[in-house]
Amino acid sequence: MFKKKQKEKTLHSMPSNIFFFIKLLFSVSPWLVLGEFMWGLLMILPNNLIKVIGVKYIIDVVTEGTDLERIFYAVIVIGLVLVLSTVFSWLFREFYWNMEREKLYYGLNKKLYDKARSLDLESYDNPEFYNNFILTIESSSGNIQNLLGLVRMYVGHIISLVTVSSVLLTIDPWCLVIILVVICVFLPISKRVGSLMMERRIDNAKYHRRADYFQRVFYLQDYAKEVRMNNISPLLIDRYNDAADDVINNQKRYWDKISALNCTQKVGVQGLGFMFILPLYLGYCVLIKGDLSAGDFVATFNGAHAVAMSFQFLTIWALARFSEQAKMIDKYREFLNADFKIKNGGEKAPKTEPKEIVIKNLSFTYPNNDKPTLEDINLTIKPYEKIALVGYNGAGKTTLTNLLLRLYDATEGEILIDGENIKNATADSHRDRFAAVFQDFQIFSCTLGENVALDVNPDEERVWDALKHSGFNKELKNGIDTELLREFDDEGVMFSGGEAQKTAIARAFYKDCPYVILDEPSANLDPVAEYNLNQAMIEAADKKTVVFISHRLSTTVNADRIYVMENGRIIESGSHSELMELNGTYAYMFNLQAEKYKTE
Amino acid sequence: MRWIKLHEPVKVPIFKNVMYAIKLVWEADKKLLIGYFVTEISNKVLSMYVQNILFLKVLLSIIDGDADFNTYFKYLLLFFGTYLTVNVISAYAERTRLISAKVVLKEVNNKIFEKATSLDVSCYENPEFYDKYQRATLVLSSSYYDLICWDVAAVVGGVIALICVIATVTVINPLYLLFLLPVTLVFAVEILKSKAVYKRDLEMTTNNRIKAYIQRTMFLKEYSKDMRTSNIFAVLIKRFKAAIDANVVILKNYGVKLFIYSMLSSLLSDFIPIIGTYAFAGYQFIFTKALSISSFSVVLSSINSVRDSTLSIAEAFDEMSQMALFFQNLRDFFDYEPKITDGGKDAEEFQSLEFKNVTFKYPDTIKVILKDVSFKINKGETIAIVGVNGAGKSTLVKLLLRFYDPDEGEILYNGINVKEYNVNSLRNAFATVFQDYKNFAVSVNENIMCHECNDDEKKLAEEALKRSGVWEKISSLPKGADTVLTREFEIDGAGLSGGENQKVSAARLFARDFQIAILDEPSSALDPIAEYKMYENLIDVTKDKTVVYISHRLSSAVLSDRIIVLGNGTILESGSHQELMAQNGEYSKMFTLQASSYKGESEVAENV
Repeated sequence: MFKKKQKEKTLHSMPSNIFFFIKLLFSVSPWLVLGEFMWGLLMILPNNLIKVIGVKYIIDVVTEGTDLERIFYAVIVIGLVLVLSTVFSWLFREFYWNMEREKLYYGLNKKLYDKARSLDLESYDNPEFYNNFILTIESSSGNIQNLLGLVRMYVGHIISLVTVSSVLLTIDPWCLVIILVVICVFLPISKRVGSLMMERRIDNAKYHRRADYFQRVFYLQDYAKEVRMNNISPLLIDRYNDAADDVINNQKRYWDKISALNCTQKVGVQGLGFMFILPLYLGYCVLIKGDLSAGDFVATFNGAHAVAMSFQFLTIWALARFSEQAKMIDKYREFLNADFKIKNGGEKAPKTEPKEIVIKNLSFTYPNNDKPTLEDINLTIKPYEKIALVGYNGAGKTTLTNLLLRLYDATEGEILIDGENIKNATADSHRDRFAAVFQDFQIFSCTLGENVALDVNPDEERVWDALKHSGFNKELKNGIDTELLREFDDEGVMFSGGEAQKTAIARAFYKDCPYVILDEPSANLDPVAEYNLNQAMIEAADKKTVVFISHRLSTTVNADRIYVMENGRIIESGSHSELMELNGTYAYMFNLQAEKYKTE
Repeated sequence: MRWIKLHEPVKVPIFKNVMYAIKLVWEADKKLLIGYFVTEISNKVLSMYVQNILFLKVLLSIIDGDADFNTYFKYLLLFFGTYLTVNVISAYAERTRLISAKVVLKEVNNKIFEKATSLDVSCYENPEFYDKYQRATLVLSSSYYDLICWDVAAVVGGVIALICVIATVTVINPLYLLFLLPVTLVFAVEILKSKAVYKRDLEMTTNNRIKAYIQRTMFLKEYSKDMRTSNIFAVLIKRFKAAIDANVVILKNYGVKLFIYSMLSSLLSDFIPIIGTYAFAGYQFIFTKALSISSFSVVLSSINSVRDSTLSIAEAFDEMSQMALFFQNLRDFFDYEPKITDGGKDAEEFQSLEFKNVTFKYPDTIKVILKDVSFKINKGETIAIVGVNGAGKSTLVKLLLRFYDPDEGEILYNGINVKEYNVNSLRNAFATVFQDYKNFAVSVNENIMCHECNDDEKKLAEEALKRSGVWEKISSLPKGADTVLTREFEIDGAGLSGGENQKVSAARLFARDFQIAILDEPSSALDPIAEYKMYENLIDVTKDKTVVYISHRLSSAVLSDRIIVLGNGTILESGSHQELMAQNGEYSKMFTLQASSYKGESEVAENV
C-alpha cells in the first residue's frame, strides 16, 4: 500500500485535466473565471511596470536634464494606473468573487453528490475506489480555490514576464540572457526539492497515521472508560512514542537534504546570480564600457527580480502545484465517470398493493471475496406475509435484504416481483416500493418529521401516527419540527438509543409502500417496548408484506414463515410450530433462549 | 490568511496566552524557538533591507561617485560572502526547527496524555468541556504551536527590518517618512479588516457546519443505504442549498465594509507612498536639485520593504491573537482539577459493597437519575440489575467505578467509603465488560493483557480467547493473536466483526484475576448461540466470584442470587427470581411479557 516512490498513474494528461476543470468551472460560472484572469493581470503587472519603466523614465529624464516637467506627467500616469487597477481589483473581490465562489461551491458539489447517491453500494466495499471518492469530495472545495488562484497567478505572471522581459531586452539583451541562464542552471535543484517534498508528505502521512491513532484514543470519549478500567495507557503511550520517533526520524531524513538543496538554490540564484554576476556585468557596462545609464542600471536591477519571480513561479512552483491539482482533478473525473453495475431497467416499477415475491436460485459473492455469501436461495413470499430471517451472525441475512433492495445485484439467479424481474425496473422506482429500517440505521441532523418521512415536507398527522405505532412517546416542545442532533444546532435534541430506534422504525410505518424490511428492529429496546413493537408490527402487516431479521426468537413466533440461514444457505423453513416439530437448528436456538423463561 | 474554525467569540488575555504558549514550547524543546528566530530575523533583514536597499544604495553610490571597478568588485564580493554565510546558517536553523517541531509535538502530546488519563469520565460526557478539550487538541493536530512560534519570530524579524529601512530613508531625507510612515497604519487597518472577516466567518459557522455535515452524509458508508432507499437526499440537498444561500447573504452584507477597509489599506500602502514619493522626488529633481539618482532609487525600493514588513507583522500579529484563543483552551485543560480525588487507601480483597441512600444527577442537568438508592452486595453473590431503558442501570455502574461521585449518600467498599481509596486500586478490583466496549489498535494479546506479553501471558490470553469463543477466528488471522486489530495503519492488521470484537473485549475479563465483575449488556452484539455460550462461560469463570450483571434480557436474571429492579431512579423491587415472581410486581410483569412468546410455544417443543 505504501510502496515508496510509487508512480501514480493518471488517466488523463495534466493539461487535459486542468483544461477539463477550468471548462467545468466556466460552465458553472463563466464570469468568475474571466474575472480571475483580469484580476491576476491587475495584481501583478502594474506594480512591476512602475518599478521598471516608471523608474527608468524618471531617472533618464533627470539624467538628460531637459524638459523636467515630464516627470509630473509620469507621476500622474503612474497614479492613474495604480488607482484604476486597485479599485477594480477590490470591487471584483469584495462584491463579486466572494459570493460567486460560494455559488460555485454549490454547483460543483451538487454534481458530486448527485453522482455519489447513484453509485453502487459495492463501491463502498472497494477501499481503493472509496478512498479516492472521499478524497474527491473532501478536496473539491479546496480544489476550486487553489486552481482558480493558480490560474489567476499564472495569467498574471505570464503577462508580466513577457512585458518586463521585452523592456529589459530593449535596454541590454545580455542582461536578460544572464538572468535566464542563472535561473535555468539552478532549475533542476528546485525540481528535485519539489519531488522530495512530495515523497516526504507521503511518508509523513504514513507515520502520522499511526501516531494520530494513539493520540485519538486519549482524545476520544469512546475509549475513556476502557482506558480507565484497564491499565493499558502505558502500553498506548509507548506505542505513540514509537510512532512519534518515526515521524521525527523521517523529518530528519528529508530535511537534511531539502534544506541543503534549498540553500544552494537560493544562494545560487539570488546570491550568485543577482547579487554578483548580474551587478558585475552592469557595473562593467556603466564603469568601464560606459554605455549604460544609471536609469538602465536601476531598471535592470528591479526587472531582474520581477523576471526571476515570474519565471520561477511559472516553471517550478506553478508546475508542481498544477500537477498536484491535476492528480486531484483526475480523481474527480474518474469519479464523475465511474460506471454503474446496477443498471436501470427501462420501466418504472408500479407502486401497487403487495404482490408475490419470488427468489429463484439466488447466489451472491461480494466483490473480491472467494466465498459466496449466499448460495442457491429459493423462496417465495406471498402478499401480506410476515417473514422472519434468523441465523448466526454472518449467515447472510442482511445480504439477502440488500439484494431484495437491489443495493447489490445477484451473481446468479433472479428476484421476481409479481412475475417481473426487478432488474427490469429503474433502481429508484424499485426501491421506492420498500421501506427499510437497517440494523445500523442513522438519525439525520434534520427535523423529527423529516427523519421519519425521510423526505421533504412531511405530513404531520401521518408522522405522529407512525411514531405512535413504533411506541415513541417523548414529549417535544416543537413537535415534528424539533431539530435532532447537535451537529449544528445547539438546541438540537439528542435521543437515547431506544428513542432513536423507535424513530427509525416509525419510518417503516410512515412510508406508503407495499413492502417493509426490518433488520434487528428491537436490539436497543427494553422488554416492554419490544413487546409493543411486536404488536404494532402484526397490526401493520395487515396492509403490507414484512420481512424482518431478528436474533430475539420471541419475535419470530408469530411470523407466517421463518427462514433459518446458515453459511449462506437456507437450512430450515416453515412456521414456528413446524420448525419446533422439526427439532433442528431453530428449535435448538429457540430452546436455548426460552429455557430461562420456563423455570417457573 | 488561514481560515480558522471558531465557535463563539471569547475574550482572552492574548499576551498571557502567547507567553504561555512560548513557555510550553520552550520547555518541550528549545530548538524550535531558536530556529525560528534565526531564520525569521535573517530572512527578513536580508530580503527586505540588505538585498533590496543596502545593496542598491552601496552600488549606486559607487557608480555615482565615479569610483573604480576594483572597489565595486570588492563590495560585490563582500555582499556575496555575507549573503552566503547568513543563508547557510539560516538553512541549518531551518532544518533544526523543522525537526524540533515534531519533537515538541511528541513532548506536549505526552503531557496531554498524562493529564487526559487523570481526567474524570464526566469531562468526556460534558459536551461543553469535551468541546473545549477537542479544541485544545487542535493546538497540536493543526500545528498551532508551530504557527505561534513563527508568528512571534516574524513580528520580531519584521520590526527589526522595518527599523533598518526607516533609518536609511531618514538619512537621505526625513521628509520622505511623511509618505512612508502612513504605511505602518496599514497595520491597524488590517487588524480591523481581519476582525470584520472573523466576525463574518463566525456568522457563517453554522452554515459551514451544515455544509460539512451534508458532505459527510454523502460519503460515509453508514448513511449510504438510507440515502439510496429513501428520499432523504432531497431533504439534505435542500438544507445544503439553504446554507449556501445564507452564506451568500452574509458575504453580501460584509461587502461594502470590506471594500472600504481594502481600499483604505491600498491607499495607505500604495497610493500615498508611491505617488507621494514620486511627486516629492520630482519636486526635488526639478526645483531644489538636492536629490541624487541613487537616493531616489533607494527611497522607491524602501516603499516595498516598508509595506511588506508591515503587512507581514500585521498578519503574524493577527494570527497570533487567534492562536491565543486555542491556547486558552489548552490552559483550561491543563488547569482542570479532577473532581474525583484520590484517597490514600489500597483496596483490599473484596468483602462487600454497599450503596447507602445514594442520590445522583448528572452535572448541569435537572433530572435526578438515582433517588435514595440503598442495597448491599456480599462476596460471592450474583446480582442482576434490570429495568427499562433510562432507568439508571448504567449510571449505577459509573458511580460504583467512581467515574462520578454521588450527590448524596455514600458507597462503601468493605465498609469504607470508596472515596477513601486510591482510585486505580479500587478500579483494579473490578473487571468490566461495557455495553460500548472498545478494542485498541494493538495486538489481540495486548488487547487482552493490556501490556506487552511474554509467552506465558500469551498462553493465558489464548485460554481467555477460547473461553469467549473467538479463538478459532483469531488463530486463523495471519499472525494469530499477535495480529494488530486495525487495518488503518497496519498492512497485515485485521478488522473484526461486531460480535468478534465483543468477544475479544470479553476475553479481557476471562484473563484477569478479578474479585468482582461488572457486566453491562455483554452479549448485545451476539447471535443466540454465541450469546448462550458466552453466558455459560461467564457463569463458569465467575462461579466463586461476585458478579453484577446488567441486562435487558430477563432470561439472564433468572439464575442470579438477587435481582434489583430499577425504575425511575429508585429500587422498585429486589429479591430472587422466585420471590419477585411471587410478588407479582413490576419484574413479574416484564418477565411474563417477555416470556409469553417463548412460553406458549415451548410447551410445543416439550411435547415433541
